[in-house]
Amino acid sequence: MNPHAYAELGAGLAMGLGAIGPGIGLGILIGKALESIARQPEVAGDIRTNMFIGIGVTEAVALYAFVVALILVFVAK
Amino acid sequence: MKKGLKWVWLVVVLIALVGLFLLPGGAKETVNVAGEFDLTPILKLPSIGPVDLSINKAVIYLWIATAVIVIMAIVIARNLKPVPGRFQAAVEGLYSLARDGIARSVMKSGVDTWFPYIGAVFFFVLINNLIGLIPLPLGEHHQLSFYTATANLYVTITLALFTFVFTHYAGINKYGVRKYVGSWMPSGAPPVLKQFIFVIHAVSEFFRLVSLSVRLFANMVAGHAILAVFFAMALIFQSYLIAAALQGASVLIYLFEIFVAVIQAFIFAILSAVYIGGALDSEH
Repeated sequence: MNPHAYAELGAGLAMGLGAIGPGIGLGILIGKALESIARQPEVAGDIRTNMFIGIGVTEAVALYAFVVALILVFVAK
Repeated sequence: MKKGLKWVWLVVVLIALVGLFLLPGGAKETVNVAGEFDLTPILKLPSIGPVDLSINKAVIYLWIATAVIVIMAIVIARNLKPVPGRFQAAVEGLYSLARDGIARSVMKSGVDTWFPYIGAVFFFVLINNLIGLIPLPLGEHHQLSFYTATANLYVTITLALFTFVFTHYAGINKYGVRKYVGSWMPSGAPPVLKQFIFVIHAVSEFFRLVSLSVRLFANMVAGHAILAVFFAMALIFQSYLIAAALQGASVLIYLFEIFVAVIQAFIFAILSAVYIGGALDSEH
């Protein structure tokens, strides 16, 4: 097999596997935030702000995988 | 009559779909999605030492965003009305989001000192992200192409470095170097553990810089790559049926990208506020 094909295979695997964890995490995070907003609608603003901070931090993990995939495809030739 | 008309429409749509399916595709063109992010200099200028002064499309997008922000601020500030018009209401809404939603909601002290930076970075990232969704004739052969200055790691690292420097400046300015660096370690711990925690904290400070810049960069690159792939898929499949279907999908992706642009600006500004606020209240 062409050595570059391994890099492209690895990029696909990195993105796909790297999206699993953050996906589960974001699901739990947003689900819990909605649950607590439904319980206490009066603090919805605070919860939403903190939820966005959490989303930003969680999502970064998936984006590291994305950057690794980009490096594998375009830089590691 | 009404019912008959419905049938006619259904037949017309079916014939159109079959026609689109049977029509031969357009001329073959190669598609290079990664080429959308290449930065070829538009105006070549000599470089001073290691600094290349050439003007490429990222620079032009940055200039446009800066001009939009400056002109918007001047126009709004020159004729402030007690009863805001549509334009003033929109800018006031964004301003109060930056002040009340971001700075005041996460910083315990120092809002008045640091809100100018938080607000400026919010508006800069927001306008840059939104202008990146407007195609400008800055491609290789001056064709319309999508690009955004924030899909460039150098731009986002510069913005993140501002936050990084201001965070530690705020902490050192308030507590002095000894006390600020001392606040990174728990006070009642044995010395070995103290040093260990100090190293962990220093590494995490550095990784904040990485995650802050890479988050914005990767989000913008991913969004523009997905848009480019959806636009390019019509060329890849060589079929008018798929092209017609993809137009609807790319409009939806485009709307989602507007949402992502606003959310990323919000997250960048709120994390800057969290870091600076954390340095200001770092005394245990």
